[in-house]
Amino acid sequence: MSRQTYFFLKQTARNLKQSWGTQLLTLMTVSLSVLIFSFFLLVYINMINASERLGDELRLIIYLDHEVIPEMQPRIRKKISDFAEVEKIVFISKSEAFHRLKEQLGGEQDVLDDLGADFLPPSIEIYPRRNLHNLTQIKEFSDYLATLPGAQKVQFGQSWVERFGYFTELMRVIVMLSGILLILATVFMVSASIRLTVVAKEAELEILRLVGATNTYIQTPLLIEGLLQGIFGSSLGLVLLYSIFLWTKMHLHGPGLFSVLTLQFFPVSTTVMIIATAILLCTGGSFASIRKYMRI
Amino acid sequence: MLKSFSEDRPFIDITKVTKVYPPDIIALQNVSLSVDLGEILFLTGMSGAGKTTLLKLICCMETPNKGLIDVGGYDLSKISASQIQSLRQQIGVVYQDFKILPRQTVFQNIAMPMEVCFTNVKDIRKRVDQLLESIKLTHKRDTVAGKLSRGEQQRVAIARAASNSPALILADEPTGNLDAEISEEIMKLFTELNAAGSTVIIATHDESIYRNTEHRRIELEHGLFSRQTQKKQLSLTGLMS
Ligand SMILES: Nc1ncnc2c1ncn2[C@@H]1O[C@H](COP(=O)(O)OP(=O)(O)OP(=O)(O)O)[C@@H](O)[C@H]1O
Ligand SMILES: [Mg+2]
Repeated sequence: MSRQTYFFLKQTARNLKQSWGTQLLTLMTVSLSVLIFSFFLLVYINMINASERLGDELRLIIYLDHEVIPEMQPRIRKKISDFAEVEKIVFISKSEAFHRLKEQLGGEQDVLDDLGADFLPPSIEIYPRRNLHNLTQIKEFSDYLATLPGAQKVQFGQSWVERFGYFTELMRVIVMLSGILLILATVFMVSASIRLTVVAKEAELEILRLVGATNTYIQTPLLIEGLLQGIFGSSLGLVLLYSIFLWTKMHLHGPGLFSVLTLQFFPVSTTVMIIATAILLCTGGSFASIRKYMRI
Repeated sequence: MLKSFSEDRPFIDITKVTKVYPPDIIALQNVSLSVDLGEILFLTGMSGAGKTTLLKLICCMETPNKGLIDVGGYDLSKISASQIQSLRQQIGVVYQDFKILPRQTVFQNIAMPMEVCFTNVKDIRKRVDQLLESIKLTHKRDTVAGKLSRGEQQRVAIARAASNSPALILADEPTGNLDAEISEEIMKLFTELNAAGSTVIIATHDESIYRNTEHRRIELEHGLFSRQTQKKQLSLTGLMS
């Protein structure tokens, strides 16, 4: 360890010892903000995962009164994809619908023998691209599809898909708000606590100046302080979140919705991102609060 | 440090300096002064004569309204922030109000200028212990400085100024709170530092510390030099103890 590093660490330790109360308060604020933000982010991410796992459930079917002739298909495709992003559109003729049903029935297909091959209505199956916008707009989408010429009835997923859509939209707002909260609380608390440290050390800073301390000598320990608050604050927040996550996972098992919702924690990259952001905010906060003390 | 400094020039060169504090307090008026490298200079004068102001100008705590100040080859009117920092690392100042940090220990106070220069920890310990011996405060090494008496604090301030073995020592009333015996010890310390290469300027009221020396003395009166004693041609080495 170089001599300079040793001095900086010693100075940091001295600062922490002198103002541990403020430091602790800042640490708690940072970890609490990280906890709140990452909690909502985790819920949000899990909901997106779940919606992806809903798979084919997310399909709208328009039942038509007559088949669409092949020449008309491109026009209808365009009309549909004008409204929303669509993964694929499949036109099902009467006979195709009949064959599908037959396949599904397998060994019991003789029940269809009495019926003609054209007893099922033709339909268009629409697989919307599975992003949140489409998920939340699904009701509007189906209303729109109902206005297409020849459309008799539009069917989509279960009704909870719709509710799910509203909920994810709400979550998105909450994630954004808690992100702003994280930023504000962290920057405010860290710069306030560093400012308190600096005010408490004003006499010392004056003498440091007078004996020729460089800006690096004065700033570095304070930046290290911010760095430590970022690292420990965010780690503590994430550890708390992980404990909550494990607890939830242990207590939420069983049939139904929860089997779809296989809970997942953040991937390593997101964890690193959250810690990095907290570090950036904390050092930024400390940098902002000491800048004006750096004049000679 | 002071690499730009050539020995044939005065170490400190003050030319026609005027310092006016707002609104119109004239602390120094048209003062000129040269101090040679390795000199011990006494600055005397009544209270309010401008002694502290002169010392503050030399260590860049104040800037003159008029005139030029040159310290160790730096023209203080053109000095950059980082040059001020490296110049200050070479100047030890005993402030009239001590500027001791009351919540830190005697050791920490004295070690500060060396820490700023990233001096090796072992060397810091050695030097502080040596200085504590000189100022007779070895037994207070780890006492919080706020608990010391005024005289003890003053001695800590002196040790701090001396700790980095600076090229220049500015001492403002260094014996103001000390009795004769300790004053003598302090003067011995300054003489030792001077023999080791420091130029020393002492501002003082205390006649006893300059009465029997052959060093140059300059008397200030209302911001003007009134009298200057000639430097006696005694060899400095004869004074080393
Ligand atoms: N920061 C200041 N603002 C305004 N006036 C000041 C300031 N510092 C000093 N003065 C004035 O400048 C004059 C010279 O002050 P200075 O402190 O240099 O005197 P001094 O010779 O050190 O006195 P003493 O022996 O009492 O310490 C005084 O009249 C003082 O009131
Ligand atoms: Mg004074």
